[in-house]
Amino acid sequence: MILSPAERSYLYDSLIQKPPIRPDSRSGHQFRPLEAKTAFLPSSNGSARIRLMDGSECIVSVKAKVVLKSQESSLIECDIDVSGNRDDSNFVSILKFNLTNLLCQNFPMDVLQLTSKYSYKLFIDCLVISHTSYPLTLLSLATYLALKTTRLPLLVSDVDDSEVEEQPTFSDDWDKSKYLKEMVSSNSKFQPPIFITLGVVGDNLLFDPSTEEEQVLENGLILSWYNNKVITPISNINLASNSNNSNFKGMDPILISKSLALLKKYCGEIVDALDGIIEHDDATEGGIF
Amino acid sequence: MIAKKQKLSSGLTVTSKVFVRSRNGGATKIVREHYLRNDIPCYSKLCHKCHTILKPDSKGELPRFILSESPTRLEKEGSIHYVVVDTNIILHCIDLLENVDCFYDVIIPQTVLEEVKNRSFPIYQRIRSLVKSDEKRFVVFHNEFSESTFIARAKNESSNDYNDRSIRQVAKWYAEHLQESNEDIKVLFITNDKDNLQKAKTEGIVDAYNLTDYIEELPNADVLRDLIPQTSNNESFSSSDANETSYPEYYSNSRVLGGLKNGTLYQGILNISSYNFLEGTVQVGAFKKPLLILGTKNLNRGFNGDAVIVELLPKDKWREPSTTIIEEEVIGADDNADDDGDEEIEFINDKERRLLAQEAIKETTAATSSTDGAHSRLQPTAKVVGVSRRSWRYYVGQIAPTSVSKDHDTGNSAKSCFVILMDKVLPKIRIRTRKAKELLGQRIVVAVDSWPSTSKYPQGHFVRCLGEIESAEAETEALLLEHDVEYRPFSKNVLDCLPKEGDSWVVPQDFETTTKRKDLRDKLVCSIDPPGCVDIDDALHAGILPNGNYEVGVHIADVTHFVKPNTALDSEGASRGTSVYLVDKRIDMLPMLLGTNLCSLKPYVERFAFSVIWELDEDANIVNVQYMKSVIKSREAFSYEKAQNRIDDPKQQDELTQSMRVLLKLSKKLKQKRLDAGALNLASPEVKVHMDSETSDPGEVEIKKLLETNSLVEEFMLFANISVARKIYDSYPQTAMLRRHAPPPATNFEVLNNMLAVRKPSMPTISLESSKSLADSLDRCNDPKDPYFNTLLRIMSTRCMMAAEYFPSGSYGYPEFRHYGLAVDIYTHFTSPIRRYCDVVAHRQLAGAIGYEMLDLSHRDKSKMELIVKNINKRHRNAQFAGRASIEYYVGQVMRNNESEQEGYVIKCFNNGIVVLVPKFGVEGLIKLELLGDVNSAEYDEDKFELKFKDFNNKERVIGVFDKVKVDVKSIKDEVTGKRKAQLILK
Repeated sequence: MILSPAERSYLYDSLIQKPPIRPDSRSGHQFRPLEAKTAFLPSSNGSARIRLMDGSECIVSVKAKVVLKSQESSLIECDIDVSGNRDDSNFVSILKFNLTNLLCQNFPMDVLQLTSKYSYKLFIDCLVISHTSYPLTLLSLATYLALKTTRLPLLVSDVDDSEVEEQPTFSDDWDKSKYLKEMVSSNSKFQPPIFITLGVVGDNLLFDPSTEEEQVLENGLILSWYNNKVITPISNINLASNSNNSNFKGMDPILISKSLALLKKYCGEIVDALDGIIEHDDATEGGIF
Repeated sequence: MIAKKQKLSSGLTVTSKVFVRSRNGGATKIVREHYLRNDIPCYSKLCHKCHTILKPDSKGELPRFILSESPTRLEKEGSIHYVVVDTNIILHCIDLLENVDCFYDVIIPQTVLEEVKNRSFPIYQRIRSLVKSDEKRFVVFHNEFSESTFIARAKNESSNDYNDRSIRQVAKWYAEHLQESNEDIKVLFITNDKDNLQKAKTEGIVDAYNLTDYIEELPNADVLRDLIPQTSNNESFSSSDANETSYPEYYSNSRVLGGLKNGTLYQGILNISSYNFLEGTVQVGAFKKPLLILGTKNLNRGFNGDAVIVELLPKDKWREPSTTIIEEEVIGADDNADDDGDEEIEFINDKERRLLAQEAIKETTAATSSTDGAHSRLQPTAKVVGVSRRSWRYYVGQIAPTSVSKDHDTGNSAKSCFVILMDKVLPKIRIRTRKAKELLGQRIVVAVDSWPSTSKYPQGHFVRCLGEIESAEAETEALLLEHDVEYRPFSKNVLDCLPKEGDSWVVPQDFETTTKRKDLRDKLVCSIDPPGCVDIDDALHAGILPNGNYEVGVHIADVTHFVKPNTALDSEGASRGTSVYLVDKRIDMLPMLLGTNLCSLKPYVERFAFSVIWELDEDANIVNVQYMKSVIKSREAFSYEKAQNRIDDPKQQDELTQSMRVLLKLSKKLKQKRLDAGALNLASPEVKVHMDSETSDPGEVEIKKLLETNSLVEEFMLFANISVARKIYDSYPQTAMLRRHAPPPATNFEVLNNMLAVRKPSMPTISLESSKSLADSLDRCNDPKDPYFNTLLRIMSTRCMMAAEYFPSGSYGYPEFRHYGLAVDIYTHFTSPIRRYCDVVAHRQLAGAIGYEMLDLSHRDKSKMELIVKNINKRHRNAQFAGRASIEYYVGQVMRNNESEQEGYVIKCFNNGIVVLVPKFGVEGLIKLELLGDVNSAEYDEDKFELKFKDFNNKERVIGVFDKVKVDVKSIKDEVTGKRKAQLILK
């Protein structure tokens, strides 16, 4: 319990206003400000680090390995480590399941293809150094940035090995490696999926609820966004995971369609903002934060 | 990609390098920190500045300056110069770099050195030894670690371009740096890459040359012009030469690796048949029998000895090994070698290839178990699809007279001509030279540069001339080169490792207090060796102990006292591996001073020795054995004959003779025990050439005679070797230096037994169950009518044997240590450290085992021991071949003057010729069908090993294996190869 009953009541009352009055004076569709740095881990194929104003911080590293396709069940594997939580705890397992599931089902796997037998496999390692609110969005945004800056070594041997075995060989020049976005077919854009968390208070939907807001929410929604549309899974969740939330209750189905409309309206901007970070980051080579 | 530089402390800057490591199909991003320093000097004695920045290395020594203050002058420019070379110059022109007439004061950028190392390790070693021996003043400049020459890789710059740019940076820096100290010096940048030259000019390096232009600048350009290798010239062979034929292109590296991994391609050493240059075999682990490779298309530019990648051919192309003799000179004369591998093979995929491989495994295993007829002779065939390592080295040969056209008189331009190599399993080599006319009739050395797929013959260049064909010097040097024997004099840094006192070195008198050596000077030691032996490495003594047992001592020259591990002397000995004995010459493994004086156990002087002393009972069983480093004083040095005479002379009753009699008695017991255990007595046609002492012309040939004293020494040496082997294996179970002789595989004897069964049905077959049964069955094979038959069979059996080999004990299990020929369970070489490197290692290990001194790390490390044995096994083999070739040459010279009729035996039968061995000279020769009689009448019966033909008198004759024949022996010079051979004519 981080809030007293009086604080909870005050906060709830302000959030249920139309428009809601959020403690940090954000509007309903506004994210908390964040800082990000990409491609900073020297021995990873791609990496990103995001820090929120409240000190929440997450590092994601993407590493690639050449595998025989026939021996792998999945070409993406995620691993999540949240400081202060056991790896086998429900909290971490659910995060891991959500992220893995999202990426495995909504990822242009053809960018990983090498030959008819070999493929890259991505290992995505996420480290949540500290967090206050539910960290799924934070993780998902950092993963987005890391994947966008992931580069894979250039294959120089023959692509067709269905008839005659070839051992893949690669150019030793790192500068020749390709960004994933350069590997997708020309008419589509490489945009990995992201998760957006919404808080529900009365009729209001709040983007990216902070930890205090989470305490008084009536419900929470997790939606995913890929290729400029909202995709399944859409699920609800009690975001105040470390305390019991007495306000928590059922949800009006109308709110779901309302949330879809909201995402359609704002998610494009969110993704553009993230892409902006990467572009900006490339231009200035500086220290980490 | 290289990140920004960052200053760490004074004189040290760090940056990082990023690259992709592609290994075993994986791709890993690697980041390395890269440190830059500002204290790397230019190594030039001309420079005034670099002395101020020097820092001592880890041993506290300052770097030495090597580049001369007065290097050679350029002819036209008149200024003195240094040279910076690029990678391709080193790779293609290493011979020129080693030439004593040019290339002094050369700067090798580290970038170049590393590229050379990655591309060709042998050349890398040659360049390293050039740098090491200061004679030619080569220096390596570590440009990648120097702040002033390090450059960052530009975006999208290929690693080749980056390296080229780094090398140019070195040239540029050197030029500017030295200008400040001396106005006259020029630093020339030499590359054959046009693009690189162009870039050098635009970057402001004025003195960039290609090799040809540079050589023209030198005062002695005339001598050097011809030595410029082919590929380095931009002018290639004329277009008529190119495209004369086209070989299939090799598979890409990734395909080869993939194929090797999934078992559709195989790797092995290509072995060309010495009877048929169009037939090669590759022994591959997956199959019991070697794969056959037939025809030039399938051989696909492979040289004898290359490590090649092969692919199986479809089953309908599988063949029996040919029974026809084909020599290149025959077909090569009209340049029209027929190919049986011409038809295109339709594309097949990996699945089908795997089925084919299973088929082949079935075929080869079936063939060994069943013996039914033609089916078992069918062998899988394959084609070469890649060469993983070339065996190219220097080759000796001579220019084919037919390839030199008459218009060579006109003009001074280089013309191409063919060089026929002495080794007849190799193809002829095309070279370009201006001096073809002068070189006719000379033995010359050539190097192979390349073999493009469009050229029928490999391309090479002239290296040097050895002298006239058939002159003893030229022929001796030729055979040393052919067998890769290092015969150059020992270099200065090797000789520096010898004791300062030189010949006047004596055993220090305080050895008993300063070392753990035992004083054995009171023992009655003597040595028995061949007459005229100067490198005496063993001596013996014997005596009777108070308890009635015998004390026997074997004393071996203590070479390791002088040859300490990790010295230049040691590494030279390790690389030579063995001394090489030719008829008229000895190539030493260790410098003369050691071999013939300081180590040699000469009579009447004190010498250091390593002694093995046994206490033996009456039946020569070991009661006790001791090993010790010692000091001995040999009483006498006998020759075998002298020792024999002395033992046989009843008047000699002195102590020394008595002890020799003891030795003889015990040695006979030892020998009997060995024979009882099944030691083999095999034969090889060994002959000795008597030299006229004044003119050193070979006089006559005789078969070596053996005396009892020969076997006396031999028995005790074997005895010592076995005892030492046990001791060092006990102390160093993983790395003990041992020698094994594997039992012969049954397939080797298959043909011989078949021959016996067919040709001599009365003879028992040769049994292989154990060396004992083999020895017994050989003993039983006696033809009462022909006493030589048994020897002949022993000679032929010897050829079916495996070669004995050195190995570190960790590489085999104990049961495989067995020495089949000697019938002992464990064996090593300990008794000739002056002439064999194995013995040197065994000495060090024994010294370690008895606690005399610490054993060097390199002899306790299994992987290092593997490297040592690999080299000495190779050297040992080469030395044997060289020795035999030398005898063969001299026998040829002897026969030149003595044409005679001799008895011979047929040992092989082909469908167009027979091979006859003449015991008197120990020579064997091929008699082709054309020389036997009517070619068209010949019928070859493969099952009966006989050839039926009408001879020149139109008489029907049948000749089969084991037949005794009369032949005319004369020596003829083969006009094509310039080799003198025994020519046999059937009577």
